Amino acid sequence: MTFAQATMIDAPVVSWLGIAPELVLGVGAALVLLIEVQWKPSRTALAWAGGVIVVVAALFAVLLHVRLESGTGIDPLPFAGMIVLDGFGVFARYVLFAVAGLGLLAAGRMVQEIGTRAAEMIALMLLASAGFSLMAISAHLMMTFLGLEIGSISLYVLAGFIRERGNADEAAIKYFLLGSFASAVFVYGAALVFAGTGNFSLRGVHDYLDGVIVLQPGVILLGLALLVAGLTFKVTAAPFHNWAPDVYQGAPAGVVGFMAAIAKVGGFAGLVRILVSAFPELVDDWAPVVAAIAAVSMVVGSVLAIVQEDLRRLLAYSGVAHAGFILTGVLSGGEGTAEVWFYLAIYTVQLVAAFAVVAAVSGPSGSRSPLADYAGLVQRQPFLAATFAVILLGMGGIPLTSGFVAKFGVFSDAWAAGYEWVVIVGVLASVVAFFLYLRVIITMFMDDPADAPAAAPPSIRWVMSLAVIVTLLFGVFPGPLLDLAGRALPL
Amino acid sequence: MLTWLILLPVLGALVVLLVPRRRSEVILPLGTALSVLPLALAGYVFAVFEPVADYQFVERAVWWEPWGISWYLGLDGISMPLVVLTTILVPISLAASASITERRKEFVVYTLILEAATLGVFMALDLFFFFVFFEAVLVPMYFIIGIWGSERRRYAAIKFFLYTAFGSALLLAAIIAMAVLHASQFGSPSFALEDLMNLDFGPTASVLLFCALALAFAIKVPVFPLHTWLPDAHVEAPTAGSVLLAGVMLKLGTYGLMRFNLSLFPQVAVDWVPVLAVLAVIGIIYGAVVAIVQPDLKKLIAYTSVSHLGFIVLGTFALTSGGLQGAVIQNVNHGITTGGLFLLVGMIYDRRHTKQIAEFGGLQKVMPLYAGFFLFMTFASIGLPGLNGFVGEFLVLVGSFTSLPVFAALAAVGVVLAAIYLLWAYERVFTGVPEKEENLALSDLDAREVGVLLPLAVLALVLGLYPKVLLDKIEPSTEALLDHVEASTDYEVPAPGRVADVFLTGGGR
Repeated sequence: MTFAQATMIDAPVVSWLGIAPELVLGVGAALVLLIEVQWKPSRTALAWAGGVIVVVAALFAVLLHVRLESGTGIDPLPFAGMIVLDGFGVFARYVLFAVAGLGLLAAGRMVQEIGTRAAEMIALMLLASAGFSLMAISAHLMMTFLGLEIGSISLYVLAGFIRERGNADEAAIKYFLLGSFASAVFVYGAALVFAGTGNFSLRGVHDYLDGVIVLQPGVILLGLALLVAGLTFKVTAAPFHNWAPDVYQGAPAGVVGFMAAIAKVGGFAGLVRILVSAFPELVDDWAPVVAAIAAVSMVVGSVLAIVQEDLRRLLAYSGVAHAGFILTGVLSGGEGTAEVWFYLAIYTVQLVAAFAVVAAVSGPSGSRSPLADYAGLVQRQPFLAATFAVILLGMGGIPLTSGFVAKFGVFSDAWAAGYEWVVIVGVLASVVAFFLYLRVIITMFMDDPADAPAAAPPSIRWVMSLAVIVTLLFGVFPGPLLDLAGRALPL
Repeated sequence: MLTWLILLPVLGALVVLLVPRRRSEVILPLGTALSVLPLALAGYVFAVFEPVADYQFVERAVWWEPWGISWYLGLDGISMPLVVLTTILVPISLAASASITERRKEFVVYTLILEAATLGVFMALDLFFFFVFFEAVLVPMYFIIGIWGSERRRYAAIKFFLYTAFGSALLLAAIIAMAVLHASQFGSPSFALEDLMNLDFGPTASVLLFCALALAFAIKVPVFPLHTWLPDAHVEAPTAGSVLLAGVMLKLGTYGLMRFNLSLFPQVAVDWVPVLAVLAVIGIIYGAVVAIVQPDLKKLIAYTSVSHLGFIVLGTFALTSGGLQGAVIQNVNHGITTGGLFLLVGMIYDRRHTKQIAEFGGLQKVMPLYAGFFLFMTFASIGLPGLNGFVGEFLVLVGSFTSLPVFAALAAVGVVLAAIYLLWAYERVFTGVPEKEENLALSDLDAREVGVLLPLAVLALVLGLYPKVLLDKIEPSTEALLDHVEASTDYEVPAPGRVADVFLTGGGR
């Protein structure tokens, strides 16, 4: 017996390349903290370091994408099947890293203002991205939970980052308590699914349900319901949306866009992956529930957004409506995954940009952003107002913006899946939503200028320009992005 | 070529955007000059347009294969007149907007984008892009009303937007439903009109889809009782906005009814003729009666639109040669005459800053040229023989008399009422002795204003004396539409209803 044989144990194949993007983000976060302690670099340098780390992570994601497409030298299920490398994860990573990059850009001015804690903030943003990215490539309920918690805990801290302010504590505590509760619900759901199927891995659950006729599926269904409930909290779908307006209002404006967007991408990635790859057999059981959640979210979000006087609360409620719109694409089982991803990619970029405007007008660490501050913005900051108007029209889903293509896609899927009533509710809710976006545009374009300060630093101009390009370019020529999203299918 | 017709205004808008802020005085002349380019192209299209039923200048390119969407443009005799009308009215509106002094650059940009979107609606043969442009029209018009309108502009802009957006929401659902149905019947989704015409909708679905489309278009027209956004939007909009709103945007509705409701759901259309005819006649009479009592000149003209558009709807659903041809040509006539009247009201408003009829009196002594143009446009609108309004209304009335005699008789009352509301308004504004001191100092039209009005007056005269120039190109398409309706239903056009040429020689000349 040779030495080599003697030491051979049945260890899982560790393919570090498979999680290289997440590793880069995690290690990068640690490095940023260490460098800060050791060398006290300028805040601009720190922000650049954060950006470089995201870019490197994105490059690894591209590399993995290329390897996956060519089918060479990549194990699709590394880490003993905890991780899955597929088109779904590829696209999820692109969206997540785009949001992270734009989020860092948008937070540029806040990094300058918060002084010595800049490194912490950047590290937390990187960690949150790593966490939600893990969630998106997870093939195992425990891995999903792990990613969810890494991401969520980073966001809890970010929500209360400006401790000097009264409602920052409120926001952070509220987010933490309710978020932890949602995570607990998710874990309980995972446990029940395990109890019902004997599996934590998504593939295992799927194979079990595929091969066995479950006579009494009560436990499994309850588990699935709890999993869905936990994740709908993260994506701010009704009726689990109540925290969003308070948290968005209390959290520092510089990072709210990032927080809101990245949690939505991660949450939807987890939700769609669980529903589509583990529970396609039960689609007739979960689709009506998801349809109800979608319809309630669209109506509640659009209607409540109208009465808001604070732009952040308005965007929070409109986010509830958007969560509902996105969920309509999930109703067709796996058919609508591409459209869901297209919608998520477009909407989250717009969301980051919208909050970049909030940061520019209300100040990056401010907590109030009354609509009155935006009166006549077109006269004070024409660039900001014009680009924000385009983004609001895109969120409203006006044709020739990518928001319309996105809505059109998910509605078509839902209609084809036989959920005509959800589509009718959806198109009517989007008319209501027009009203609230128009209200903001009216304030910016048709009111007399307020004397509130508004600054548009280059970093925010970049965010706005990129978001406008995404909104208009993919509104007129959505082909390339739809094509990419079309391959974002779970393994 | 048609793609360029859409791109030219967009490129023009980009050029205008590049003009530096301090050179704002060149923006309006530049924008007007740029908007002549699409007019020139449309003029060429009109000149080489063959009087045949097929779609012409067709362009088709796949846009997104899996959803079955293609960039599919084409013109026939129903849409071509509207395209030409749009390209005529935009330069005129821009040239008439000298009174807009604030944020001129934005104004010109919105107007040119509005033109591009409107042209897109009339040319799109793919329902996806039809919807895209149909909805995209709302945004620039919303800004034009909301920024440059008068006191209650915000209310009017929002009301306008939400009314029409509500209609188009159902339109969107209907379009998705048709594409999904196409996928289930033919294996792949499609949004092309000609493909959707092959669908077997079934009795329930076709009624529901017909209603969804009809509601969207009826709000746009507007058909009574969905018209309440119109007076607000017209009255609050700046002059150019009112001209384009009345001149082309209302036609999006009548065009949609004719193009989509009739060709996709002929059986339902035939069944529902009484309902639509009743609403059309109510609109004709109600609009006219309400117009009579308006104290505000602009609101008066706004309500005349409700009445005139009722004629177009009646003509469409009369389902006879004369009715359809009359409806198409009345689309153009209404754009010319109502556009001209709104321009005239804008000119007096610029001078006196009021539109109240009671504020005026005896103006024809002070402003003879203005009074002359006003009277001319009034006659054209009333339908004086020899002017364009007569041709359209006559064709509609004769056409509907063969299939819907009672409705035609009632609609004829609208012609009489039109004479009352417009001539009475003319009498109060222009005749008598000028009493108010402010009115005595009013200056008559200047060269620019005459230049704006003259093309419309010439068009009104040409179309009134020799409508054949347009009707020849319209007729094959309307006949083909009637053939389609007859072929797909058991409806038969009443005997004299197909002898189009009799009306032509009888009317108009």
